[in-house]
Amino acid sequence: MRLAACDTAALALGLSAGMALADARARVPELAVFDHDPAADIALLGWLADGCERYSPACMLDPPQGLLIDITGCTYLFGDDEARLAKDLKQRLRRHGLTGRIALGATPDSARAKALYAKSAIHALPVEALDAGDKVHQALRRAGLKTLKDLACRPRKPFAARFGKATVVKLARLLEEEDARITPRRHVPIITITQNFAEPVSRTNDVLDTIATLTGKAAAQLNDRSQGGRRFEVSLFRSDGHVARLAVDTGAPTRDSALLMRLIRERIDTLSDPLDPGFGYDLIQISVPTADILLPSQAGLETRVDRSAQTAALIDRLSVRLGSDRVRYFAERNSHIPERAVVECAAQSGQPQKDWPQATEAEPPMRPFRLFETPQRVESLASIPDGPPRQFRWRKNLHHIVAYEGPERIAAEWWRRKAGHEQGKGGPTRDYYRVEDSEGRRFWLFRHGLYSETDAPIWYLHGLFA
Amino acid sequence: MNIKAILPKAAFPSVHTAWKQYQPNASPPLLPIGAPQVDERLRGGIVQAGLHEFFGGAKADSYAAAAFALLLAWRLPENDAGIFWITGDKERQTSGRLYPLGLSAMGGNPSRILLVQTADLRDALRAAADTIRSKAARAVILETHGNARLVDLTSTRRLALAAAESGVLALLVRGDAVPMPSAASTRWQICSAPSVPYPGNAPGLPTFDLRLLRHRGGTAPFAARVTWDHATRSFFDTPLSGGLSAAVTDAEADPQQRFRA
Repeated sequence: MRLAACDTAALALGLSAGMALADARARVPELAVFDHDPAADIALLGWLADGCERYSPACMLDPPQGLLIDITGCTYLFGDDEARLAKDLKQRLRRHGLTGRIALGATPDSARAKALYAKSAIHALPVEALDAGDKVHQALRRAGLKTLKDLACRPRKPFAARFGKATVVKLARLLEEEDARITPRRHVPIITITQNFAEPVSRTNDVLDTIATLTGKAAAQLNDRSQGGRRFEVSLFRSDGHVARLAVDTGAPTRDSALLMRLIRERIDTLSDPLDPGFGYDLIQISVPTADILLPSQAGLETRVDRSAQTAALIDRLSVRLGSDRVRYFAERNSHIPERAVVECAAQSGQPQKDWPQATEAEPPMRPFRLFETPQRVESLASIPDGPPRQFRWRKNLHHIVAYEGPERIAAEWWRRKAGHEQGKGGPTRDYYRVEDSEGRRFWLFRHGLYSETDAPIWYLHGLFA
Repeated sequence: MNIKAILPKAAFPSVHTAWKQYQPNASPPLLPIGAPQVDERLRGGIVQAGLHEFFGGAKADSYAAAAFALLLAWRLPENDAGIFWITGDKERQTSGRLYPLGLSAMGGNPSRILLVQTADLRDALRAAADTIRSKAARAVILETHGNARLVDLTSTRRLALAAAESGVLALLVRGDAVPMPSAASTRWQICSAPSVPYPGNAPGLPTFDLRLLRHRGGTAPFAARVTWDHATRSFFDTPLSGGLSAAVTDAEADPQQRFRA
């Protein structure tokens, strides 16, 4: 067993990562050892990245212990001084008992290398910063090239010929000659609006007022862009580093700040664990990750109630409260198996299907108005094997059938089955009967399988007619 | 301190006061059922801006009550506003889901229906109250199953007041439940009834046995048999078999006795 990581005190005692545990114990008998938990490390890193989104929406994890933040254009809160931002971050980390090596660079690679090798100048970095494999590093060292300073002044073409193009690209990125972007762990929102507080706020009304102000600003920006947001995220950064996030989705693009505030209040109202401001929030942020085009609409002269807008607003409210998959429209699917012919789609995601088959005037309804998702098994008695049932027992009640129509034969979708095209492997056919019992209740029953397909077909109740 | 505790509750502290002050409109818009004999008894139909309760006669008749409520909602002229069908998880499990191909076969337009499924009855009642109040709905159907204590005088008053204010038709389907005091304008007991068979002894059109249990306007309880015609989107009086012409009969004094086991 070896040491995976050591804290500063352990390092001061001469221990280091990679050392055998027995050796370490021999040197420091009272050594406290904990199991290495990489998942918890990543979780902590993710938690830190959440907190770092107060500086910039573009954060990226660099496991095992790195964090890259793209602060381009994000330093205005610190008087356009990057060093002040770094100092602020360092202080916050210290409050949590964490030590961080923070480095600033024009490219992610240079910042990362500076932090990793604890150097402030690029030229002082060792050639290992190239991260090009031991062979390359060794070759460079043998040639007397020990730091990036030695490499920077030399022509690149022979390099490329000797060590490959990737090494040269990496060098250019380290030397901040070529730019590269990081891949943020979250989609960078279209609009982000932030409010900083000198003193943390914890009064509910202050927090809600701030959210309302920020929502108004976001709405104004969306208006300038002729856009409406489809998703709004509120991030509440607590002074102790915790971040609470609330998101509301809207079915139609919107920039109505009053409506948004109602949705956000609704969202807060339905949280399973209430928001805990703790010692207060020192930064509140609202972001719009997705937006669609929303052209300004002209108000009519007469005051007509816009029903569709009201419906959309109601759908949004119910979706926020109950979950977007709980408010649904019907949609048809191309299948003749009754339970597969229809799906239910989230109402927020689109418009309902308009064209449904029309009722036939000459015949009574041929499909039930309620359908069981899983057909209900019934005990049934038929007078002749292939004929209609005479009576059946469902949920402990016996129903005597006085009228029936059928069978309506619906074959299985053999093309969905493995080897379904072969004789007898396509799945059992269903024979549907529309029946009415002696008390006037109408049911939709089917026999699962023909007698030529199976010896003892089972009867199911699939639907109920009005 | 938390934000949740301070936010205004959706509850209405003054339901009781509002109910006492509530004056029903003298001549509210009525929704005729379509069957002349029933409408004559109801003096025109049921109140559009009101709450109506539908009980199933027996346990297996809760489907009939739900179907009747839905068909009533279809009697309303179509506009942009939808019909909201609100159920809890439990109801959907026991009674199956609405099947749009069957709905369109009954002459309805499935694209008008919005399904709202809630985890429990408390959420369902709240969603129903909000939907009725929002004026975005043409009709709201709330389906409950079993004797739920939550569906009491207070919660039905809340729904009835909201419906009276917004003009939305509110229909409360109570499957497998015993009638309890409530604020509904009308209370019905619905059973499936034998249909007039089609040629070849095929089951016919949806037929219901209605029984008016209570009417806030003072109409005496009566019983009737009606059939739904999907072509005209209307109910019609079903002639009883055995040569009886009248479909409407007076109910006994105690309607509870007529509940089938």
